Amino acid sequence: MEIGPIWRALMRNKASYVLIALQIAVTMAIMVNAINIIQERATQMARPSGVDEENIFYLSSYIFDPDADFEAAIAADLMAIRNFPGVRNAILSNSVPLLGGGWSEGITLEPDPDMDSTGVAVFFSDENGIDTFGLNLLAGRNFEPTEVNWHDFDSNAWPPLTIMTRAMVEELWPDEPYENALGKTVYVHDTKPVTIVGITERMQAAWNSWSGVERSMLVPVLRGTSASRYVIRAEPGYRDEVMPQIEEMLLASRDDRIVNSMRTMEETRQRSYFEDASMVKLLVFVVAILTAITGLGIVGLASFSVARRTKQIGTRRALGATRPAILRYFMLENFLISTVGVVGGAAVAIAINMWMVEAFGLQRIAWYLIPAAMATLWLVGQVAVFGPARRATMVSPALATRSV
Amino acid sequence: MFRYYLKLGWFSIRKNPILSALMVAAIAIGIGACMTIINVDYVMSGNPIPHRSDVLYHVQVDSWSPNDAYEDPDLPPEQVTYMDGYALWDAGKARRQTLSYKTGRVIQPQDQGVRPFELESRATTGDFFTMFDPPFLFGGGWDESADRGEEPVVVISREINDQVFGGEDSTGRSLVMNGQPYRVTGVLDTWEPMPKFFDVNNGPFEAVEGVYFPLSVAIANELSSWGNTSCWKPAEGGWEGRLASECIWLQLWVELHGESEKQEYMAFLDAYAESQKAAGRFARPVNNRLNNVMEWMEDREVVAEDVNVLLGLAVLFLVVCLLNTIGLLLAKVARRTGDISLRRALGASRSAVFSQYIVEAGMIGVAGGVLGVGMTWLGLQGIRGLYGELDFIARLVAMDWPIIFLAIGLAIVSALAAALYPTWRACRVHPASQLKAL
Amino acid sequence: MLSMKDISKIYRTDTVETHALRQFSLAVDEGEFVSVTGPSGSGKTTFLNIAGLLEEASGGVYELDGRNVAGLGDAERSRLRNEKIGFIFQSFNLIPELDIFDNVDVPLRYRGFDTAERRKRIERVLDIVGLASRSKHLPSQLSGGQQQRVAIARALAGEPRFLLADEPTGNLDSQMADSVMELLTEINEQGTTIIMVTHEPSLAARAHREIHVRDGQVYDGEPDIQLAAQTA
Repeated sequence: MEIGPIWRALMRNKASYVLIALQIAVTMAIMVNAINIIQERATQMARPSGVDEENIFYLSSYIFDPDADFEAAIAADLMAIRNFPGVRNAILSNSVPLLGGGWSEGITLEPDPDMDSTGVAVFFSDENGIDTFGLNLLAGRNFEPTEVNWHDFDSNAWPPLTIMTRAMVEELWPDEPYENALGKTVYVHDTKPVTIVGITERMQAAWNSWSGVERSMLVPVLRGTSASRYVIRAEPGYRDEVMPQIEEMLLASRDDRIVNSMRTMEETRQRSYFEDASMVKLLVFVVAILTAITGLGIVGLASFSVARRTKQIGTRRALGATRPAILRYFMLENFLISTVGVVGGAAVAIAINMWMVEAFGLQRIAWYLIPAAMATLWLVGQVAVFGPARRATMVSPALATRSV
Repeated sequence: MFRYYLKLGWFSIRKNPILSALMVAAIAIGIGACMTIINVDYVMSGNPIPHRSDVLYHVQVDSWSPNDAYEDPDLPPEQVTYMDGYALWDAGKARRQTLSYKTGRVIQPQDQGVRPFELESRATTGDFFTMFDPPFLFGGGWDESADRGEEPVVVISREINDQVFGGEDSTGRSLVMNGQPYRVTGVLDTWEPMPKFFDVNNGPFEAVEGVYFPLSVAIANELSSWGNTSCWKPAEGGWEGRLASECIWLQLWVELHGESEKQEYMAFLDAYAESQKAAGRFARPVNNRLNNVMEWMEDREVVAEDVNVLLGLAVLFLVVCLLNTIGLLLAKVARRTGDISLRRALGASRSAVFSQYIVEAGMIGVAGGVLGVGMTWLGLQGIRGLYGELDFIARLVAMDWPIIFLAIGLAIVSALAAALYPTWRACRVHPASQLKAL
Repeated sequence: MLSMKDISKIYRTDTVETHALRQFSLAVDEGEFVSVTGPSGSGKTTFLNIAGLLEEASGGVYELDGRNVAGLGDAERSRLRNEKIGFIFQSFNLIPELDIFDNVDVPLRYRGFDTAERRKRIERVLDIVGLASRSKHLPSQLSGGQQQRVAIARALAGEPRFLLADEPTGNLDSQMADSVMELLTEINEQGTTIIMVTHEPSLAARAHREIHVRDGQVYDGEPDIQLAAQTA
């Protein structure tokens, strides 16, 4: 209703308003980019690992007597664990999704060392792997017990079968339906043929920040060495109960054994995304504090602005301005300042984002973040200015006739 | 005059307690946020071994695949194969050389009540102790004859010594690891190099290993690496195959004094690469690297990317707080034009008005700085609370005097910088311009 | 047109009760030019504030244009001020950030006229006060007399029934004061009722009627202030 004169008045007394607009702009730039990072991290953290995270735990058993019969010990352990009340199934594997450490190989479509290979996470398993991890087999079949063998990797052999994730076969044959991969042969180490017998919906690799995190393969292998990792799936609700019992059972069964790194999948997920989760918390904190400071800055400046203009407010009242008109004046003035701030902020936010995309490989800002941040800061401004503006409406019109 | 300005400043601050508190708080929070991240960055990018960082060089030779570079753009592998590492160590062309890798051992205390426990250990050649200079509580390291003779000797950390030997001088005593007795030659005092520069493969801020024993002993016992192993070509079967493979898993460091020694050693590395080419290895162009400690830390980007992002945000955060302060100071000056013009009319020079306002801003800055140090401390406690699971964080959040002075200095400089424009405006108030209205 | 009967105004603080006006009665007719004089603290300004609906009386009856204003809400009082009353202040009270045009525009905005109507009125009143060529100047770029002319233009723009002038020449030198007084006389001759508060006897004498205020009441005797002014 009176934007023209308010704007012209602002322009004649720029300095402190420009500053608050700048502050709003920088706040908005930080807000948008921080939320962008938060969104990116949150999306990563929300990806399912593909395994039954609620009920799985794992542990490492280390038999330090170098002359022990590792294969016999492992076979005995697996049988004992599988028969343990509250345990649904268990396998000997090398890693679990999101663990942080695992085994990876390069896969080629032809036995040709010059071909580009596709990286894949390798999980050792027997015929109980699908059930223990709780994987969803989309096509093909599980391993047969007869296909699982004790394997010495130093002997340089490689098991001839594999079950791959859908993401992996789609990476290998991007133009074909995933089912077509069944029965095809690919090559590990450029030379060792491996036939795909099954395809699972999903199983993440051990490294959450790897671009190929969805590419995994199960291989039918048992490995008899001093250090073994048992992956155990408890019956629903029994996990916390059986964990210490299994540890105790394993320790009691041999003197030359150490059990360590016993963890649930849930804890593994937390550890895997620990830094991301912490970063999210930090950024939320930063944005909250920053918005509060900017709000307080607006309160401070508006209070001063009201105090400096008491005489003017009295005059306006004498000339017929109602209380709501005075309130509107200050709210509108703040709205104009905020508008300059958020428009500038949108530009700065996009500039910073472009730089971050370049320097840190961050994602681009979602378009709606800009209007959302604008609206938020507009609102913050209006809330912040409301107090001082209300005090302005209390100025008596009789002030106009006072000589100071 | 200075004391008079201090008094005027104090009156002015007291006259507007809420606004002054707001300004002090804004500066303090800005400084706190900024300094918290700067502190973390400062510790992360600190020099772990300042007195020797210029003479210790990390060695890289390009033994990688003919088809791909180890890392784009055409970087040599970050570790060495056993073949190359042993050959270069054995040649002994530098003043000292350390070849080592991380592995694990089971410690079996002779005390019956204590269960054996597994421990990260370092298999290394004996120059480790003279090159990286860890502090010894008792005894010392071992010499080259122990390396060559595969002697089962061991240096243990203070913590392990406390656990197994009750903290006594255990040099000469026997420590059983995986069923084998090792003779203790030395006990290290507390040692926390930040970052763990000699092996950054499994996280640059890990704790150092608890026991150290000869590389030759580890190789003879076929102890595989607990660190990263990367191969561009599969190893042939068995441990012998692993040792003869193109897999990289060891870290090689050499000690060189001055540019000429470095040049000489570089020439030696190039000649070695040529000899390997002649033998059918090293299919890539000769691409050897020697980086001293700080160069290597920078090359490996040990400061986490998140910290850089946060540092940028923290600086912007401080900018917001300063803009806030400038805005509030400007408002204050605008309100006090009457007072200023009266002072000008009573004979205050421009520089006198300038001094008066700068002193006032300085007071706000000092208050903001002192409170900012408190905020920094709070911020670091917050970081510790947030990242508490990672034990290296406890070391990242320690505050030292330089950081405290930096915080206060930054606060004062920021407050003065924020005060410049408003003060300049105050100086321009014309004498008597406002008196009529008073 | 303006009628006050037994108006009283009491200011209270925690410890003191001040009777600024007591049984103050006055009637002003359409077209009159009335001057109000009196010593400092006599209640002149309080009278002006109540007459201009800037403050409410503590007691008595005040009828403006035949309407009793007691108990009116803030919005209605604001509307009455805006439509019926034009103010001229001693210290002009122009808004320093706004140029002359926008200053005159202020009451018209609150009146809710459309752009064309406002422009027409502003140009007309600036023409009357002889400042049409200065409409883009800021108040600080004008002399005191010119500023007061702007204030008069602002008071006239809404075509009020009467003008309340509070020491309109108090901050001006005698030459400027004369020209402002001439302007007020002209305006009055064109039909606008004017009530002017002043302590300057020579100015008060130019009104149709002089009212003297003393101790919060209309005083019928000879004004002391005249003596004081003559001896000064």
